[in-house]
Amino acid sequence: MNGAESHALLLDRGNLKRRNRVSKLVSLSSTIAALLAVAVLLIVVGSVLSKGIGALSIHFLTTPMGLFGDTTGGISNAIVGTGIIVGIAALMAIPVGMLVAIYTTEFAPDRIGHAIRFVLDLLNGVPTIITGIFVYGLMVAGNRQSGFAGSVALAIIMLPIVARTAQEVLALVPGALKEAAYALGIARWRTLLRVTLPTAAGGLLTGSLLAVARVAGETAPLILTCSIFGQGLLTEPGEALASIPIFIFQSSESPSPEAHTQAWAAALILIVFVLVLNIIARAFYARSRKRMGA
Amino acid sequence: MEAGALSDPVLRVRRNLTDRIGDPLLRGLSGLAAALAVAVIAGIAYEVVHLAWPAITKFGVGFVTTNDWNPVTERYGAAPFIYGTAVTSAIALLFAAPLSIAISIYLTELAPSRVRRPVATLVDMLAAIPSVILGLWGILVLGPFMHDTIEPALNSVLGFLPIFSGDPSAFGYLTAALILTIMTTPIITSVTREVFETVPGDLKEGSYALGATRWEMIRQVVLPYSRAGIVGATILGLGRAIGEAIAVAQVIGGATGINVSLFHTGSTMAAQIAAQFQGAPGALQKPSLAYLGLILLVFAVIVNVVARLIVQRGTLKDTDMTVTEAGAL
Amino acid sequence: MTRRLLIVGVALALSIGVIACGSSSSDSGSGSSNSPLVGAGSTLVAPLMSKWQSDYASRSEETVTYGAIGSGGGIDQIISRSVDFGASDAPLTPEQLEEANGVEQIPWALSGTVPAYNVSGAPSNLKLDGEILSRIYLGTITQWDDPVIAQLNPGVSLPSTKITPVYRSDGSGDTYAFTNYLSTVSPEFKAQVGTSTTVKFPTGVGAEKNDGVAAAISQTDGAIGYVGLAYALSNELSMPLVENLAAKFPKPGVKSVEAAAKAVTKIGPNNEISLADLPASAKNAYPISTYTYVIVPLESEKAEALKKFITYAIGPGQEYGPDLDFAPLPKQVVAADKKAIAKIGG
Repeated sequence: MNGAESHALLLDRGNLKRRNRVSKLVSLSSTIAALLAVAVLLIVVGSVLSKGIGALSIHFLTTPMGLFGDTTGGISNAIVGTGIIVGIAALMAIPVGMLVAIYTTEFAPDRIGHAIRFVLDLLNGVPTIITGIFVYGLMVAGNRQSGFAGSVALAIIMLPIVARTAQEVLALVPGALKEAAYALGIARWRTLLRVTLPTAAGGLLTGSLLAVARVAGETAPLILTCSIFGQGLLTEPGEALASIPIFIFQSSESPSPEAHTQAWAAALILIVFVLVLNIIARAFYARSRKRMGA
Repeated sequence: MEAGALSDPVLRVRRNLTDRIGDPLLRGLSGLAAALAVAVIAGIAYEVVHLAWPAITKFGVGFVTTNDWNPVTERYGAAPFIYGTAVTSAIALLFAAPLSIAISIYLTELAPSRVRRPVATLVDMLAAIPSVILGLWGILVLGPFMHDTIEPALNSVLGFLPIFSGDPSAFGYLTAALILTIMTTPIITSVTREVFETVPGDLKEGSYALGATRWEMIRQVVLPYSRAGIVGATILGLGRAIGEAIAVAQVIGGATGINVSLFHTGSTMAAQIAAQFQGAPGALQKPSLAYLGLILLVFAVIVNVVARLIVQRGTLKDTDMTVTEAGAL
Repeated sequence: MTRRLLIVGVALALSIGVIACGSSSSDSGSGSSNSPLVGAGSTLVAPLMSKWQSDYASRSEETVTYGAIGSGGGIDQIISRSVDFGASDAPLTPEQLEEANGVEQIPWALSGTVPAYNVSGAPSNLKLDGEILSRIYLGTITQWDDPVIAQLNPGVSLPSTKITPVYRSDGSGDTYAFTNYLSTVSPEFKAQVGTSTTVKFPTGVGAEKNDGVAAAISQTDGAIGYVGLAYALSNELSMPLVENLAAKFPKPGVKSVEAAAKAVTKIGPNNEISLADLPASAKNAYPISTYTYVIVPLESEKAEALKKFITYAIGPGQEYGPDLDFAPLPKQVVAADKKAIAKIGG
């Protein structure tokens, strides 16, 4: 066989030293590459930490943004705004995403299931600025910007993430469990509610948390739907609300160093939130994998 | 097995009213949700075309090759932005792909098992950083570094090459490309790593048994086996790179021309939309931006579909998005 | 048990969310006096707008929300009626006026655009003129020690640093004011680039909003860029002395802007006033002065509130101007404004 011949030649060649050296070089390069990636992460997070920690204070977290040019304010309205916008988006996207996953794993015939998976993949590949254009055309043009429009844009981005991870997790639920329930005459919906979903709960939670972490930092869709907001602590989703990513974006383009420091501080809060969510999500995932691995 | 659920006295055999409407209700609700997902993607396509229509009828397909963006003469074209998107994404992939392969090799073949999980997690965390924060870092840290150190160095050593000619600038194609590299590397890595992990152990051991060094084994077994997966992963990364609007807008300088020098400012389709969409009062400007969006959407969809197909064919499994991908994307 | 609670909880939260949204949108739809006046546009007027917002809130209990997204954005948003009023330094073109379908344009503040620069080794009051500025932005003058610049500044040593022109990449009234001026003084600039809120500059670096341009200028040695007067002053950027048509080099500021406004009495049919073509008799006039306008729909739910706010802005609001380098509105402009305000609401 061809392969065997060429491999047999490996033994014959007398340049073992050189081959070993090449291999070691490759190993070294790969290790360096991994270290480089970790280093970049540490540099970026380190920059955010070191440059932002100075502006972080109780005052910063509890005072709304100052008016133009006034950098003595804080970001309380941005934090609350992000909370409301992302919260409403999650309330919309998580149930719908789970329902889509339930449909494709429980009810849909194979071909339709594949088609929907394809549609979800398409949705996932849509650049977020385009999603922003869509919601702008749908809700903002002729009307006005609102936190709710921002939420709709974020929900659209979350939907495929929630749905696809839910699909994967639901498919992992051991068929034996469900069949046992059906054998006892339990209705499908009850089985789903009492057997399938609880078993998959960890993974479902993971998908939801990851989706939330993903959109909490999204700026592009909010620029077109929720970037002209008023002063003070606003909580009306019907009006445009402040948000952390928009705050960072606007402050990053400012010439004043104080604004930059505030941007770093806001970035710090956002990064901590996103990374913590990610870590929790992965922990849940590992746990749920273990439970269903048997 | 979940003994608890089955021993629940609520689960009786009798099919009462709630059971009889429960099933169809659930089927209906979930079917509705699925239909909603389809409606959304259709809606996005429709709305973008609708907004772009005046520009489509005025410029036609020639828009794609026109190298002009002039609101005064109302002459718009996509060429400068397609160029910018292509250049920044190509450079990003040029760096990210080998880097990702190297990192994946490290994670699957070299890392001691105790180091593997933490390092993998750290690389995935890179993907979780919101793009606006990377843009902030780009403006305030990377940009000045490029302007003060990297670009002058490139200019003095390789300045005879047109791509490294011109004056160093904090903002431009190169800075944007580097930011994109940081964003796409974790995505390509996570998919490549998974594909590497599916390489059958006996193939690898067989190679070792025949006296291959580690690198030779990788080159002869792992890489050929994973070829489709690697290509698919790279194309997936491409999709992310072309769609990135914010971080690129923050560091690319916003010029609307085609420039050979990588130090020069420019723009990409996504960044141009992000920068100008809200403030585009020309009768044709907003539709032209929407037209850019349409081209971008078409590219993104094609890239994504091709990536999925390749990975699917290569690994012979249905491409369920894994948790790692979800986190990375 | 806990799972069931979780599901019920989510459903409850969802319904609460829907109810909250439903009630809030119907709330703001009924035109309650507590919903703020939403405006967007010019970054030039943003510093003054800030003062107006806080002062007006304490006087009248009305909140005004303003998004400084650039004049182009202001025009766009008011045309699509996504905001209650738009603010722009650039007057509406005939096409935009038509698209806007029934709006009134009212000049409500007066300031200037300054070609601020950052060149280490250059003096702080460099003399420039329209021709030089045109050529810089056309890319034909590329270094600070160019003989033409040296000629205007005899006895001054200029570094050979490369000139980096900075411009606005978003739709900007400052771009309009600046290109209007350059097109007036340089036929070549007019032919090659023209006047608009977004133009295609042959060379240079783009930045978003006045903030972005100010940032780009301060971060790049050799940079020159046009920003609103207030931004140049608050960021302590070097401002050149620009030669006006009387061959004088007035210092940019309230006085020279006021002189420019005094020299032009012609008010256009839509209240647009161009300060680019100043007569030679205006000795101390700053040549790149500009009015900034508010654009309001003639008919809208918020007509009364808008009339009150604009009346405030051109009246008591003007006293905040000079501190921020806005010159007071000339009497005839205020008179024309009042007539225009009367047309709103009908």
